[in-house]
Amino acid sequence: MGEPKRHRILMVSDFFYPNFGGVENHIYYLSQCLLKLGHKVVVMTHAYGNRSGVRYMTGGLKVYYVPWKPFLMQNTLPTFYGTLPIIRTILIREKISLVHGHQAFSTLCHEALMHSRTMGCRVVFTDHSLYGFGDVGSIHMNKVLQFTLADVSQAICVSHTSKENTVLRSGLPPEKVFVISNAVDTAMFKPALERPSDNEIVIVVISRLVYRKGADLLVEVIPEVCRLYPNVRFIVGGDGPKRVRLEQMREKHSLQDRVEMLGAVPHARVRSVLISGHIFLNSSLTEAFCIAILEAASCGLLTVSTRVGGVPEVLPDDMVVLAEPDPSDMVLAINKAISILPTIDPQVMHDRMKKLYNWHDVAKRTEIVYDRALKCSNQSLLERLSRYLSCGAWAGKLFCLVVVIDFLLFRLLQLWQPAEDIEVVPDILLSQGEDKRDADKLRVFNGDQCLK
Amino acid sequence: MDNGVAENSSPTRPKWRKVAYGGMQPGFDDNHTDESFLEDIVMNANVVKRDMLKVMQDSVSISEYLCIVALVGLVWTYTLRSTLDETSLLYLDVSLLGSGFLLLLLTEEMLSVNLLLHYLLNVFFFTTGLYVLAPIYQTLTRSISSDSIWAVTVPLLMLHLFLHDYSGSTVRAPGALNNPTLTSCISLNASIVASVFIASRLPSSIHVFAIMLFSLQVFLFAPLITYCIKKYSFRLHLCFAFSLMAMTLAFVYTLHRLLFVLLLGLLVFVTVVCPYWLIRLQEYKFEINGPWDEAKLCFAVTD
Repeated sequence: MGEPKRHRILMVSDFFYPNFGGVENHIYYLSQCLLKLGHKVVVMTHAYGNRSGVRYMTGGLKVYYVPWKPFLMQNTLPTFYGTLPIIRTILIREKISLVHGHQAFSTLCHEALMHSRTMGCRVVFTDHSLYGFGDVGSIHMNKVLQFTLADVSQAICVSHTSKENTVLRSGLPPEKVFVISNAVDTAMFKPALERPSDNEIVIVVISRLVYRKGADLLVEVIPEVCRLYPNVRFIVGGDGPKRVRLEQMREKHSLQDRVEMLGAVPHARVRSVLISGHIFLNSSLTEAFCIAILEAASCGLLTVSTRVGGVPEVLPDDMVVLAEPDPSDMVLAINKAISILPTIDPQVMHDRMKKLYNWHDVAKRTEIVYDRALKCSNQSLLERLSRYLSCGAWAGKLFCLVVVIDFLLFRLLQLWQPAEDIEVVPDILLSQGEDKRDADKLRVFNGDQCLK
Repeated sequence: MDNGVAENSSPTRPKWRKVAYGGMQPGFDDNHTDESFLEDIVMNANVVKRDMLKVMQDSVSISEYLCIVALVGLVWTYTLRSTLDETSLLYLDVSLLGSGFLLLLLTEEMLSVNLLLHYLLNVFFFTTGLYVLAPIYQTLTRSISSDSIWAVTVPLLMLHLFLHDYSGSTVRAPGALNNPTLTSCISLNASIVASVFIASRLPSSIHVFAIMLFSLQVFLFAPLITYCIKKYSFRLHLCFAFSLMAMTLAFVYTLHRLLFVLLLGLLVFVTVVCPYWLIRLQEYKFEINGPWDEAKLCFAVTD
């Protein structure tokens, strides 16, 4: 199909650097790889503390920290139309051709996607989590997702289980949903040069200590394993509400010398904690795609995990031992892992991971999705409204009302602040061999252009 | 590049696997939807199939409690009108207490002397406390007009009925309150506050003591008594409920025609219309379960 097109992509989410997490890393690495492929990528997120305004990251990645403060769990206050002016300005200024929203839980993402569709931009959405269907929060979230995805060009999910979950929740046709997994930065997660000694087996756990990540399972499993295998030691990294229970368990069974609690581990130190162990234990109760397992496998650790969500799809069967989320089954799995541990070579595992997961591959596959999205016809308002009407008897009409008001506000903005008056950012490609001085000069130049 | 149909140069292309590693699977697009898509979904796994007669029988306990509350309201009305004087009220209290204990003794198979003594002691403390506090209740709302009292009491009683734990009379063991929910505590408090308001309208402290004892007896112990009867014999439960309903309807009829019609309508609604409606709505139930669900812990988390 002709020469590759250069896209101008806006990534929108509430979750980005300086926060560290699955979604944040995904957006960052994907943006970097897309930049290397020659596209233009701009990221939009909310302000983090004092970090507000425009920032530039590695490779010329421009990040708009819109001055909205988060109000609940890192999400901005959902004001429906409050973000329309700033999004319109960003879309016109950067000449964006495609908007890519991340994470269903992010209110900024939903609003940005709605406004982008009003302005006629193509829209792609990536869902990173699994949600239920039964409780009030999930029902509300699914309806919001149905609204956003009623008019999306394409959708991406991170695993096949996540695709099934998203299709059920939003009513999208399955052909519109692409499955593109996350990847891991294998250059950063290299195994140790010297493998830790084999006379003592170290099991590493790094996760937020919350109910969802199975901290209660850990409380049951750790004493049992310590009782059965006297040469096993645990290292637990991470913090959360369930840390108290783990400390209590430690005291109750007198495992202070066998269970080491590290507290919150900053992202830069995760590798050093991982390479001090032989086995990585993941006890989550639900995971769409577990990046922690990838990091552990890239460092050469054998993984023991619960068989939930998308975890069975993540690693080949010889690199992971799966167990039901039940303490006795997990102890059996750890037993099996300990027995196959001598056959594992961390360097071989790391080399396999380099072939299996690669951010550049993810970017190429995402590029295919973008090409598809841009081929979708641009529908007029009336045709879009018919899509929203099918969302439900009452909800459909409410959604149509929301979209119509958005359209009217957009027209009002066009009169009040015409597009010709908004300065457009010139396209400047920072090539690889750029001098740092020149890069700084360019940054200042760009910064001046954007300050209004 | 449509799903399922791909131009393959080689006659045997590798099978599509449900895995996320290895990048794009050769011969398949990323949006390929396999036949195994959604094969692990389980629908309506926990839905209980309901039978109309059983639901109607279960709804009898709700109408029974409605009648009990209606009877309490009736006694309040008669007392406030001075139709019932304090001696007859006191007789009523004592007879209720006595018959309650009798029922407990008859229906409880293993009632030890210890437990009985425990109950008696509690009732004694309770009655003494009420007697001592009666003068306080009498002067509690002296500065508030009767209209306000009525305006508050009726909504409080409705709140009590809405939030009442109707399943408590079927599950709870006598004497043990296993995990009272927030709503059952709120409903109990609402009923007690309503009784206090009504009691404070009465002229003498004996009146107040008698009516408070009556109201509190009924609100606190009626669920326990109905539970014991239901546990002992279902037929006895049905007989008791129907006789109670008949008695209530007869008394309300003599009081006020309109209230009688309303009560009758409410009882019919609860016993007949609601079960039918529930069973009709069950057809729309759509419960989805699958591998994406959050795993449930099979052990109880004790903090």
